[in-house]
Amino acid sequence: MNIDAKYHPTPEQLEGFAQGSLAPGMNVVISAHVELCATCRQSISELEEAASEEWLRSTPDTRASSINFSAMIDSIVDHPQIKGDDATSGNVPEIHMLDHSVTLPRALAKVASDGLVWKQLAGGINQATVTLDDQTQCEFLYMKPGSQVPVHKHQGNEVTLVLDGSFEDELGHYKPADFVVRTAKDLHQPASEEGCLCFAVLDSPLTFTKGLARLLNPFIRYRFRRATSAAAH
Amino acid sequence: MEDVVSGAGSMLMGSLAKSKSVKEPASAPRVSNDVSDSDEQLLIAVGNHQDRAAFNALFSRFSNKIYAMGMKLTRNEQLSHDLVQEAMLTVWQKAPLYDLDRGTAQSWIFTLTRNRCFDILRKMKRQPATVSADDIWPQEGDIDSQLVHEEMGTMEVEVSKIESFYGQLPAAQRAVVEQIYIHDRTHEEAAAVLEIPLGTLKSRLRLGVGKLRQMVGTEV
Ligand SMILES: [Zn+2]
Repeated sequence: MNIDAKYHPTPEQLEGFAQGSLAPGMNVVISAHVELCATCRQSISELEEAASEEWLRSTPDTRASSINFSAMIDSIVDHPQIKGDDATSGNVPEIHMLDHSVTLPRALAKVASDGLVWKQLAGGINQATVTLDDQTQCEFLYMKPGSQVPVHKHQGNEVTLVLDGSFEDELGHYKPADFVVRTAKDLHQPASEEGCLCFAVLDSPLTFTKGLARLLNPFIRYRFRRATSAAAH
Repeated sequence: MEDVVSGAGSMLMGSLAKSKSVKEPASAPRVSNDVSDSDEQLLIAVGNHQDRAAFNALFSRFSNKIYAMGMKLTRNEQLSHDLVQEAMLTVWQKAPLYDLDRGTAQSWIFTLTRNRCFDILRKMKRQPATVSADDIWPQEGDIDSQLVHEEMGTMEVEVSKIESFYGQLPAAQRAVVEQIYIHDRTHEEAAAVLEIPLGTLKSRLRLGVGKLRQMVGTEV
């Protein structure tokens, strides 16, 4: 499924993706675009080569004294290796929208695999938020045919990847695999004549998400303790 | 979908986890002591013949660099040590999948180190997400996202679940939890906003959080 996208991630975003320096939410949306876009796949492998050069050149070759090398090697080579022909194909992940289904890129399929909770917003927009980290706000958005998002502005940058259908705003018309970047300065009003499924990432968290994440933390620790004490018995 | 990345089918959903039990037929280890071997030759020797001398050479060429990347990204000696262990284990396990079409050996080792580091950081931060490095950067090959996913299972709480628990709280307790955890107010500020005595606020908060804790606990 190679699609000729017209809009791609910025060079900085691709570089951050290759280096592994981005937040998980941003990694996921770039991964989904890269899976659909042969041009960006090529750029990523070039950027990975460059990043590995830089890694080897800039890293001092000091020994990590805490490592018992021979013991580590002995424990590693006890493991069986993986053979290429063991590979089997997995299931094809899909998302069902009204009368048809949409095949999702791998990273997004994983994100959606826990189930999405859709909320209806004003103007024919449906939203399913997902929490991938504490630095981004991520959501699937489904715009019904003829719907319009209210004029809005955001703190931080907003990235929108079109998965199915299309939408338009003052600056263009966006089709599947298009990767639309809007900065905090842009005031825009997306609308969709034919209907559109997309995945959007805002690189600054909404207070609500941040608050919920904080509320979550004690429970995660609590569950973790429970799990470890259960395992100890 | 099938032709997205060459061999995309092989990369899906950690289906290789079971192959860990498949032992490679014993073949006489070939010894390569030639230090001028390129990284690519070493890696291919490890993949084709389980060549331990070649693996030793790769280990000594890369382990310090991997450790340094770990220190840069985690600033933690133990995690960096774990990163060396996990990255070099992945080099050993996946060496049979490497070929020259995948680029240089150093780039291949860089990407799998980056990926293991992403997963280590993810565990450290206890991110409530199910996405592993192998979902994000599938080029490296395949496997064990499923394994990592299962290990993570006990630490993951779905936000939507918390949201629905939160919705089940009595209104008075929910209002207090909302002030403290979502609007980020101090106890004193929250009491003023809700126009209730501080003692009442604290007892509602204790009840509300206790109830949430209980609801999460019963889900384990
Ligand atoms: Zn692209």
